Amino acid sequence: MSADHHRPSGAPPVLVYRNVRKLFGDFVALDDVSMEVHREQVVCLIGPSGSGKSTLLRCTNGLELIDGGEIRLDGEKLPADWDGMRRVRQRMGMVFQNFELFPHRTTLGNVAIGPLTVLRMTRAAAEARAMALLDKVGLADKRSSFPAELSGGQQQRVAIARALAMEPTVMLFDEPTSALDPETIGEVLNVMKRLAEEGMTMIVVTHEMAFARRVADWVVVFERGAVIEQGPPAQIFDAPLVGRTHEFLSHLGWAG
Amino acid sequence: MNLDWSVVWHNAGALAEGTELTVALAVLTMAIAVPGGIVLALMRLSGSRLLSGASASFVELFRNLPLILVIYTAYYVMPISLGLTFSPFTTGLVALALNVSAYNGETFRAGIGSIRKGQSEAAFALGMSRWQAMREVVLPQAARRVLPVLASTWVSLFKDTSLVSVIAVGELAYTAMRIRSQTFRVLEMLTAMAAIYWALGYPQAKLVDWLHRRLGVSE
Amino acid sequence: MEFDFSPVIDSWRFLLGGLGVTLALSALTMLCSLVLGGAVGLARCYGPAWLRWPLVFYIDSMRAVPVLVVLVWSYFALPIVTGIVLPPFWAALVALSLHIAAYVAEIVRAGVGSVRPGQTRAAFALGMSRAQAIRQVILPQALVRMLPAFGSILSITIKDTAIAAVIAVPEYMKQSQTLAGESFRPIEVFLVAMAVYFIILFPVTRAVDMVYVRLAHLGRS
Repeated sequence: MSADHHRPSGAPPVLVYRNVRKLFGDFVALDDVSMEVHREQVVCLIGPSGSGKSTLLRCTNGLELIDGGEIRLDGEKLPADWDGMRRVRQRMGMVFQNFELFPHRTTLGNVAIGPLTVLRMTRAAAEARAMALLDKVGLADKRSSFPAELSGGQQQRVAIARALAMEPTVMLFDEPTSALDPETIGEVLNVMKRLAEEGMTMIVVTHEMAFARRVADWVVVFERGAVIEQGPPAQIFDAPLVGRTHEFLSHLGWAG
Repeated sequence: MNLDWSVVWHNAGALAEGTELTVALAVLTMAIAVPGGIVLALMRLSGSRLLSGASASFVELFRNLPLILVIYTAYYVMPISLGLTFSPFTTGLVALALNVSAYNGETFRAGIGSIRKGQSEAAFALGMSRWQAMREVVLPQAARRVLPVLASTWVSLFKDTSLVSVIAVGELAYTAMRIRSQTFRVLEMLTAMAAIYWALGYPQAKLVDWLHRRLGVSE
Repeated sequence: MEFDFSPVIDSWRFLLGGLGVTLALSALTMLCSLVLGGAVGLARCYGPAWLRWPLVFYIDSMRAVPVLVVLVWSYFALPIVTGIVLPPFWAALVALSLHIAAYVAEIVRAGVGSVRPGQTRAAFALGMSRAQAIRQVILPQALVRMLPAFGSILSITIKDTAIAAVIAVPEYMKQSQTLAGESFRPIEVFLVAMAVYFIILFPVTRAVDMVYVRLAHLGRS
């Protein structure tokens, strides 16, 4: 909601995608995708379902491996093997559409599990960090609850805290509000907004156009695996250069 | 028909020992077959075609053989192929463990496979290794689903221990039938044997029913 | 370890006879179990209340007691109680059928229970009697759901016939045992036995798996 958009400061980008290709059998999920993400930027990926936005996110943290082109994190190419990606994944946080909290652990347990298991922190240190994060997303009083006892919006906020517990340099959001009831979407978007204001580098796949318009520094429009347009939100939403961008947005009822 | 039921009381000690051996056999078999089943399931679900194929073959083999045949074969094959002499108890244990591991392998595979892919993805996204994700996220959830089936398998195993009597392992069935041969009290001993199995098995079967109701999958 | 399969090959007729007995015993047991178990299962679901308790007792008792025990009791103890001496094959048929019918009864109960109550209500709304509703609406749906479980029962039946060797029924397991003792080549004999049983059982378990998969898409109606 602040017009305090972060502009690239001349420092090299955090993430560079160059001619990225991804195939599922014969289906081309990503077709020659090139884009950049700079430090402290919020980049929103928009476009119709199945256009490759989520796939790009999943290739970024290695849940899928790319078939062509390259992705560079801080100048270094991402490893091509699954296990090599493990260390990279520790520097990125991911928030899923279905929250994917671990149902057999409490809220506190969920947030602490990353530091505990992966960073091998002591239980005391991990739980202290987890408590601070739960406080930050406004759910400190729910620390002993189980995910099944929480609303969708609460679960997603816990999921954000869980990802933040690893102190990532980049946060990846895969349609974080698509599975939420309208009443709870706001509380999650507010947490994300605050994160952006604090300077977190974020890549967000979303259908929440108002959020993208206000919070994003850069918007990338996907269609059928390819980038059809990218630019600052003012361009994309108010004066798109490409006809199909305009069509997509008006189908969503975006007056633009 | 003259019956003498006192033969049962006179041999109560031996029957109790036989029962102990039955229980020991079942417990030891499960102690081997539960980790065995997990290993088989992980092999089956691994990306390696070699491991997956080996696991699938093992499971298919034992699903399609009568246990009594496996017991006899183990009895004759083990000493010759491994060059050592084994007690009938060990032989029986090996046969039972192989058989139950195969069934448990299927059970764990289905249980692990029923956990949503997103759960392991969330674990990976936090930077966990495949093994960490399995240990911290997937297996604890699968355990809950798998428990009722394991309980049913236990009840079957408990009954199947009677089959090792054919290679002279001194569990309950063998003991009861031995006493029958020695005392010629056929009806009394065989009925006592049936009654003891019934008394042990009936509550176990009811417990399994309760577990199925309590932990029934409703997802 | 050198193999000599000649005793097995020389006695192929003997073993083939055993195989015939295995198949005959399996088929007859399946038939009797399905009839008896079906009757018990239906009586359990739709019969009078006073019948329920003895039937449940029978079913749960067969779950508690090993097949071996039922077989041995039927062959050795039953003649003492009833005065009727059954030859091994028939004693085995009685024992196995009684044991397996209990499982069939449970399958019938689960199958009937899986049909939505709304189906019964719809049948009554059309004016059907209870018997008509059961026969025309519930059972056909229940039967489809029960098929994979019946396949498993066939597999279990064939495996359980091997236990009848213990009461000297000349089925394949017993014949193998005899041959193993006479020929002093137990490994070869039992390896062949494993191959024979595997070849019979594998198609059955495969078919059951396929039916399970094809029915999975039917889902819960």
